[in-house]
Amino acid sequence: MDSELFLQPGRGTRVVAVSGVGAVCGLGWGTAPLWEGLRAGRPAIGPFERFDHRSHRTHLAAEVGDPPPELARAVPGWRRLSIADRFALFAAREAVEQAGLSVPLGEEDAGVFFGSSTGGMFESERFFEEFLRERKGRLSALASQQVNGPGDAVARHLGVTGPVETVSSACASGALALGRALEAVRTGEVEVAVAGGSDSLCELTYAGFNALRSVDEVPCRPFRAGRAGMSFGEGAAVLVLEPLERLLARGGEPLAVLAGAGASCDAHHMTAPDPSGKGAAAALAAALADAGLTPEGIDFVNVHGTGTPLNDAAEWRALQQVFGERSAEIPLVATKALVGHLLGCSGSLEAVATILCLRHGELHPAPCGGEAADPELPVTLVTREPLAMPEARAAVSTSLAFGGSNAALVFSRWTDRTA
Amino acid sequence: MSEAVAATPDRIKRLIVESLNLEGMRPDMIEDEAPLFGEGLGLDSVDALELVVALEKEFGIKIKSQEIGREVFSSVSTLSQFIEGRT
Repeated sequence: MDSELFLQPGRGTRVVAVSGVGAVCGLGWGTAPLWEGLRAGRPAIGPFERFDHRSHRTHLAAEVGDPPPELARAVPGWRRLSIADRFALFAAREAVEQAGLSVPLGEEDAGVFFGSSTGGMFESERFFEEFLRERKGRLSALASQQVNGPGDAVARHLGVTGPVETVSSACASGALALGRALEAVRTGEVEVAVAGGSDSLCELTYAGFNALRSVDEVPCRPFRAGRAGMSFGEGAAVLVLEPLERLLARGGEPLAVLAGAGASCDAHHMTAPDPSGKGAAAALAAALADAGLTPEGIDFVNVHGTGTPLNDAAEWRALQQVFGERSAEIPLVATKALVGHLLGCSGSLEAVATILCLRHGELHPAPCGGEAADPELPVTLVTREPLAMPEARAAVSTSLAFGGSNAALVFSRWTDRTA
Repeated sequence: MSEAVAATPDRIKRLIVESLNLEGMRPDMIEDEAPLFGEGLGLDSVDALELVVALEKEFGIKIKSQEIGREVFSSVSTLSQFIEGRT
């Protein structure tokens, strides 16, 4: 019968390893300065110069410095690329190099799965600024204005000929893209996934969050009593994903296993989270189920932790629903306190931070200026010193976005026993 | 139309550098006979669009077809000859 054809199970499930990571953010170009800054608990959030922000309420961001000069020489068509494209290319090159894959990836059955919230928005703003002032503008400023610009630039540069997709779902984009990449590698749709996100500072998001009164006047203080909003960041983060078996067969070293992904929507409000935390809890539960883990199997959480009063309160409710009595004890890592909120990239940068914590057996601190804890949110946030956790097996990273879009990713440490 | 400006090679080189925002490039670094696109100066199709607009504004010329464009945009020298031969 024909119907039997429709009853076939889908393609098989494979264990998915992370074989390379790359990142750029306010702490520097590369995962080495990232980990060094995270471990030191050194916030990159401070005064910035990308655009004139004098008319806004707040004046801070974790701005990325100039790119390494050799990068511009190595990338054809460099001057056509947006800042977000350039971040993405750097992170992708670093990740692919660590994975030990040779470029072009055309022979590898590879795909690119990317997240971005604003793509080349900054360059478009410069175009319209000139155009509205002088009725003229350089068309080239718009050459890479699309939100899919960073992912496309990565695919072009690496010679990726498989599926190339961009997810744009506000601040969950970077995590959702990794979820999509996980699915593609698991099912055999691709053998190599280059996945992550990229966003640069721009006036649209800067003005928007300021208008919402969601930006702190000092570097953000997630889960602290005096928290008054987020801080802006920018950058890119990229993971290379491959089937574990394939990676081991070619003699590579897994940095971690991407064990599961989950997503949900609050269906509640354009910008505010559902205060009950139900939606975020659903994404966490889905990610754990996808990874085949119970909450007891999770040793720490890399929180979304923007530092807005509403986000952190809703996230605490979600943690309570998922971790029950452990919710006050499970260590929380708040990466945004140091690198700011990378918007469409935050989920992928925090994925890299989570992997680095698992690899080093240490959770990085978020000093938050020594600010006192919020008695309403009795969490165990790692604040002063790195927390040694050499036995940590698995961690979950959350991304809670505008529109109520929630995503969670579970990473587990790879040891020979895991295999 | 304003009075025609002389389209000397130097004037065209200045226009190229200014209108295309070529970082690290000075007008005197462009050779009269060097190809503008691909090899040589290495301009691309987006540059071509911007250059057409800039030349129209500066010299009041019109490039009527792609074929003419391809010929005229070979080098600074061909551009200069084309513009000077107008009217």
